[in-house]
Amino acid sequence: MNLVPLALYLVAFIAYGWHFARRTPPAGRTATTILVAAALAHTFIIGMQTMEAGQVPVGGAASASSMFAWLLAVAYLYTEVTTDERSMGVFILPLLIALQAIPALRSDPEVRSSVLRGWLFGLHVSSLLFAYASFALACVIGITYMLLFKEIKTKHLGVFYTRLPSLQVLDQMNQRAIVVGWVFLTIGLVAGVVFAVQAQMSLEDPKIFVALVCWAVYSFELFAARRIGWAGRKAAYLSALGFAIVLLNFVPISYLTTSHKF
Amino acid sequence: MHLLLVGISHRTAPVELRERVDFQARGLELTLRTLASRRPGGGSEVAVLSTCNRAELYAACDDVASAKAELVAFVGSFHDVDIATIEPHIYGVSDLEAARHLFRVAAGLESLVVGEPQILGQVKEAHHAARQAETSGPLLNRLFHSCFAVGKRVRAETGLGSGAVSVSYAAVALARKIFGNLEGRSVVVLGAGEMGKLTAQHMKSQGVRNVTIVSRTMAHAARTAEAIGGATAARWDDLDSALEAADIVIAATGAATPILTKAHIEAVMRPRRGRPLFIIDIAVPRDVEAAAGEVDQVFLYNIDDLQASVRENLARRASEVARAEAIVDEELEKFATWLRSRGVIPTVVALRQSFEAIRRAELDRLDFKLSTLPPEARDEARTRVDEITHLLIEKLLLTPTEQLKSIADPEVATAYAEAIARVFNLAEPTTEKEAETRPDNRVEPFSRAKSRPGPGRSR
Repeated sequence: MNLVPLALYLVAFIAYGWHFARRTPPAGRTATTILVAAALAHTFIIGMQTMEAGQVPVGGAASASSMFAWLLAVAYLYTEVTTDERSMGVFILPLLIALQAIPALRSDPEVRSSVLRGWLFGLHVSSLLFAYASFALACVIGITYMLLFKEIKTKHLGVFYTRLPSLQVLDQMNQRAIVVGWVFLTIGLVAGVVFAVQAQMSLEDPKIFVALVCWAVYSFELFAARRIGWAGRKAAYLSALGFAIVLLNFVPISYLTTSHKF
Repeated sequence: MHLLLVGISHRTAPVELRERVDFQARGLELTLRTLASRRPGGGSEVAVLSTCNRAELYAACDDVASAKAELVAFVGSFHDVDIATIEPHIYGVSDLEAARHLFRVAAGLESLVVGEPQILGQVKEAHHAARQAETSGPLLNRLFHSCFAVGKRVRAETGLGSGAVSVSYAAVALARKIFGNLEGRSVVVLGAGEMGKLTAQHMKSQGVRNVTIVSRTMAHAARTAEAIGGATAARWDDLDSALEAADIVIAATGAATPILTKAHIEAVMRPRRGRPLFIIDIAVPRDVEAAAGEVDQVFLYNIDDLQASVRENLARRASEVARAEAIVDEELEKFATWLRSRGVIPTVVALRQSFEAIRRAELDRLDFKLSTLPPEARDEARTRVDEITHLLIEKLLLTPTEQLKSIADPEVATAYAEAIARVFNLAEPTTEKEAETRPDNRVEPFSRAKSRPGPGRSR
């Protein structure tokens, strides 16, 4: 089932690539239309799974990854519609494809636990997923910032110079995404700790540790941008680093360790 | 009806001559009215495109050769220029070649700087003026609307107009890529010379808020600041504080050795907390040490870098020419189809007029047959008979009309038109323009027969 949105994301990636290369309005409209179709198909699948399980399907690594991809797609579409800026799509879609490949290729073992119900658990998982989606956007924006920065700095004005918005705008978008992500990360972590204490679960878990490292990195980034002038390129580096840690938490730790799967 | 273009441009005439043939200066309306009243080549449609690089007359005429001679004579007499002087510089093309030329002009392909954006607006003005002066008719209206479509498509679908193609625009474009909006940004100009002043003025016109002139001689700085308007002058001793507050620095002093070293820039950057600094070094010899560009968040461009960017943009534009020309060809093909379909219009109009005349005559002749009916039934019967016969004629003529209009080869079209005129014994139609503009006529060569809702119509 998860193959349908994956295939559509792949087609959308090609369309965004085409738009990035040719910059014609029809190409842009086509790309957006395909991505909207992909997001709708994805919405439908998550909706079906929710009805089937009686709860939002975030209880396993694969379904959480699918939810993450969906949130990212929706968040990206929102920024695209509000800013009319499509050049970022070609950078976001590989991430969407990678994230969606996990549930498409491998499904979660059937776990039906009464522990994984209740609003606190829902708050924990959805806040964190939303935070991670924001960080993913920040990371992609940060990477494009670095690419554009490099072109201007080295005076080789080329592909990115003609296609990306200004450094100032990219920096602002990055900061905004980090603030939103940080707020939800904090909420998600607090909810997770309260939930774990209530359910008498152990807090000695690599996933929790890495999440705290993430929180520290992003907190530092927010502080550094405001207090010591680490905006622009350094903020972009930090966004990429922070998101690398997020991904680390998502894929290897979920599959290779005995950590909790959600 | 033929389309004719007569004109001069930067490609055919020197600036001294172009200056003398300036229709804009003489007033477009006067030009258009004078020209239209002469009916060059038996036509009544004229339009004038007048910019600093070209002066072109577009006319719809019956006789191309005589119209061309009349237009050339008009250019000479209107501007009081000897025809022998101007004739070698004039180009004259007709029909599709004239249309192609206007399409290329609107696309920016004929401009001095390929892809420059103003020309489309100027072409629109030319059409607007012709409409205002009521010298534009069906042919020129269609021609101009087609060329607007070309201009729009070339802008949207190609990179022909993208990238700055002058040094000061390149500097502004870079500043925009770094800072986004330039409004509220601060510019510091080092040196009170002409180059710095011009670049600062350009920045100011782009929305920059503060311009500060720093010069070794305070009096020079004050004079330049005054010339720019709204700028302030600062003493050389205050250079560091000015640099700290600046977003953009334009270095344009006549100093023989660099005045801003890497160490200097590093010191200035420290309290700025990562705020980017864009340094434009347009001085020769350079004012800023090249190594200063390595400092984090500093973007250093000298005059050669900006010129390289301009060259690159020009090359990029040149590489887009083929795509723009393909669009011109596509739109020209559409226009040609339309133009060809016009060749058979007189025949179509005459055919319809002939059928309509027969219908009217027969209705009048047979009207007595309805007189036996009671009065109220008689009126309804008349209406219905009128409608049915009208519909019948529309149906009968629909296929021949479409077939005629679809003939691509003008010679074949002429042969068909002659055959039809002979077979149906057609008289010359009412003049084309009249037939097209008359509001309530039933002769509609371009539209399919519409069913007309009316009283007494059943089903």
